[in-house]
Amino acid sequence: MLTTPSQHGIKLAVNLISSYFGDIVAKVCECLLRKGTLPLVQIIQFTELTKQNAVNSLLVLIQHNCVQAFATQTEGKFGGAPRISTQYMALFDNIIHHLRFPKFIAIVNEDLGKECEEIFVWLLQDGRLSVNDILERHKEPSRNSTASDAFHECFRKLVNAQYVERCPAHEPFLAPPTEEEIAAKKRAAKFTKKVEDTIEVRALAEASPMDSVRFLLETDTWTDDPEQKSNDDSSSLAAAGEKRKLDALESGTKDWATNQKKEVLWRVNFEEFVRRLRHKSCIENVRARLDAGAATVLGAVLEATRRTETKVKVENSVPLSIDDIMEEVIKSEEGRTMNSDRVRASLAQLGCDMPSITGIDETYSIDLKRILELAQIQEVESIVLKRYGREACRIFKLLLQADRVVETEMISKDTFVDKKDAATILHQMWKDDYLYMQVMEKDKGKQKYLLWAVKKPVLWQHILDDMYHAALNLRLRSAYEQEKDKEIAQLPREKREGELGKRFEKWRKIRLVLESSLMKLDDAILLFNDF
Amino acid sequence: MSRVQDTMALKRKRGDQSLLTQSLGDADHNVLNIIKGKEGRGISSGELKKVSNLPTTQFNKSIKTLVARQLIKEVPNIKTSWGKHYMGAEFEPSAELTGGYWYADGKLDQELINSFKKICFQILQQKLKVATAEGVHSFFIKRKLYNGEISRDQIAEILRSMVLDNQIVEVKSTGLEEYHSIPVGEVCYRCATGGGLGETSKTKTGAMVSIPCGVCPNIRLCTPDGVISPTNCVYYTKWLDF
Repeated sequence: MLTTPSQHGIKLAVNLISSYFGDIVAKVCECLLRKGTLPLVQIIQFTELTKQNAVNSLLVLIQHNCVQAFATQTEGKFGGAPRISTQYMALFDNIIHHLRFPKFIAIVNEDLGKECEEIFVWLLQDGRLSVNDILERHKEPSRNSTASDAFHECFRKLVNAQYVERCPAHEPFLAPPTEEEIAAKKRAAKFTKKVEDTIEVRALAEASPMDSVRFLLETDTWTDDPEQKSNDDSSSLAAAGEKRKLDALESGTKDWATNQKKEVLWRVNFEEFVRRLRHKSCIENVRARLDAGAATVLGAVLEATRRTETKVKVENSVPLSIDDIMEEVIKSEEGRTMNSDRVRASLAQLGCDMPSITGIDETYSIDLKRILELAQIQEVESIVLKRYGREACRIFKLLLQADRVVETEMISKDTFVDKKDAATILHQMWKDDYLYMQVMEKDKGKQKYLLWAVKKPVLWQHILDDMYHAALNLRLRSAYEQEKDKEIAQLPREKREGELGKRFEKWRKIRLVLESSLMKLDDAILLFNDF
Repeated sequence: MSRVQDTMALKRKRGDQSLLTQSLGDADHNVLNIIKGKEGRGISSGELKKVSNLPTTQFNKSIKTLVARQLIKEVPNIKTSWGKHYMGAEFEPSAELTGGYWYADGKLDQELINSFKKICFQILQQKLKVATAEGVHSFFIKRKLYNGEISRDQIAEILRSMVLDNQIVEVKSTGLEEYHSIPVGEVCYRCATGGGLGETSKTKTGAMVSIPCGVCPNIRLCTPDGVISPTNCVYYTKWLDF
């Protein structure tokens, strides 16, 4: 679940943090992204910031869910007592999520309406808030008690839709494994090839609240007196490691953490938004590639099974009976015209195996991984088509389908591309790292053959890095255009006439194109990184 | 869409050949026999020179004589773009040399290929909707859409190439609805309903290709403060020039 950021991914993340929280915070963030998980001492050493600046930056990053702290125990030197130290890890994906806040807001607005959107935006702006923090904001002079009731209802809706969740533990303690645990792991390793989780993955797992607590909204939280409820909340949150870790906190973060412990903090549940965007991407891809019927059936299946998905990146949809699918399909306007045969045909189009006898224990599970893979291929093919031309695209698709090395002559034959042209295209694509080349010798080196292949995982990483690079460039150009025409942007409405009016219109158009392109590019980044 | 295949004009009767070979010298005979021995595979000029073991002047003279008397012919070899390739006049070049059905004069016959692609697309789009390679081939034969010979495999090659062009999609029959006439699991072809990436594409353009960086040849040289940067990029300036 943790992504190792690419070079341009880091640059984009740093640019985002710099524009939202300033250069000092960005410096700490960049240090963590480039060097990995670090304790405070080393962060100060690498960034050359003062301790206060480093601590404050970390607090900002933690508040905005960009950094997770955790405590580890190390053996004491020269037979001394074990030492507990706090480590800080950057959450790359959460940083990049800042780019897509407008998308998250649009989803909430569409699903729950304007009032819920308002509360949701506060959470996005502040990163983490308690119910009372939000209530305080809500209690502006213009609002009355009815508005307060509406607030409670809105917040409940946000939690029920899983758009917001309880924050993870501030600093979970990762106890060193006992001798028995080490022995058990060694035994298990003999039989399974499972790679052991990294310390970062373990820290995230330890910090996450249990599923039963994650979306638990206690009505007694809704008191207007924060002091009164603080004790109750702390007991409900009491994860095993909570109290243990407090002794280990470093002085800089100790007070903050102690204060936060008094109240349940809530934050935006990015996971739910990624899931919804993933579903949307699958449906839209199927609509474009197959037809509206298949998209309706897929939408119905995903809607019915969303809550039962155990993780975001599920490869297949949760199995659903034909009756349940029909029940969900007819809820939508497009689905009302579909009978069961039509639904079955759509399921077959979606790659589901048809049972030999329909009706008896007839359940279906749709291969979502394949749908997303095809969408990724479509994106890469469009790049190849525009960069190298139609013949190159044909060759690329052949190699992608072959999934092994293929000789130049065979490529030429199967794609109807002249051998000489094919060789030129293949070399060009190889030079740009789109293809892998292997030289095969025959007759003791007298004859040489060139073999070509698409190494998908490597190429996909390369394309994703290019996407981060392009997104960074769009942001930089956007900032440049805003700065260049600062006066035009602030032009009052009545002065937007004649030459000035034209310039304002051009400025508006440029901004629109750059912002919409960034959102579209972010869809592709999601497709390659998060889905 | 027709290819002139007047092979008879290229062939010579044995009776005529004996008259033409009567006045040939020993060296010419030797060269002719080597070439004829290779039948439809022919022989490259380099190899022929090596095997005949003749001095260059004599070798060139023999080749010139044999070609002039139409006893041998020069044929294209798609495997090598350099050097000459010779063959007995009575033989037809093998598919290995010519490249096969889709080649003419040593080059891909793009006109022929495109014509077949166009017809196959029309058949799938307007007539059959979904069909196997066999189905498309039968349609060709029944409707006499092509005067020459075309095999099922050659139609399959065309269809596979159209799949690579995203003009059509390869699917497996489900036996349901429009697939009812095709056995379940059999590979068949249909038009890409979403449009694919073909020239008539209806799908949305890729995110990367709709911005300058997506296809920029200098993307690797581009840095925020470098000589090439997004703020001074000429492609960006052109893109945003409304």
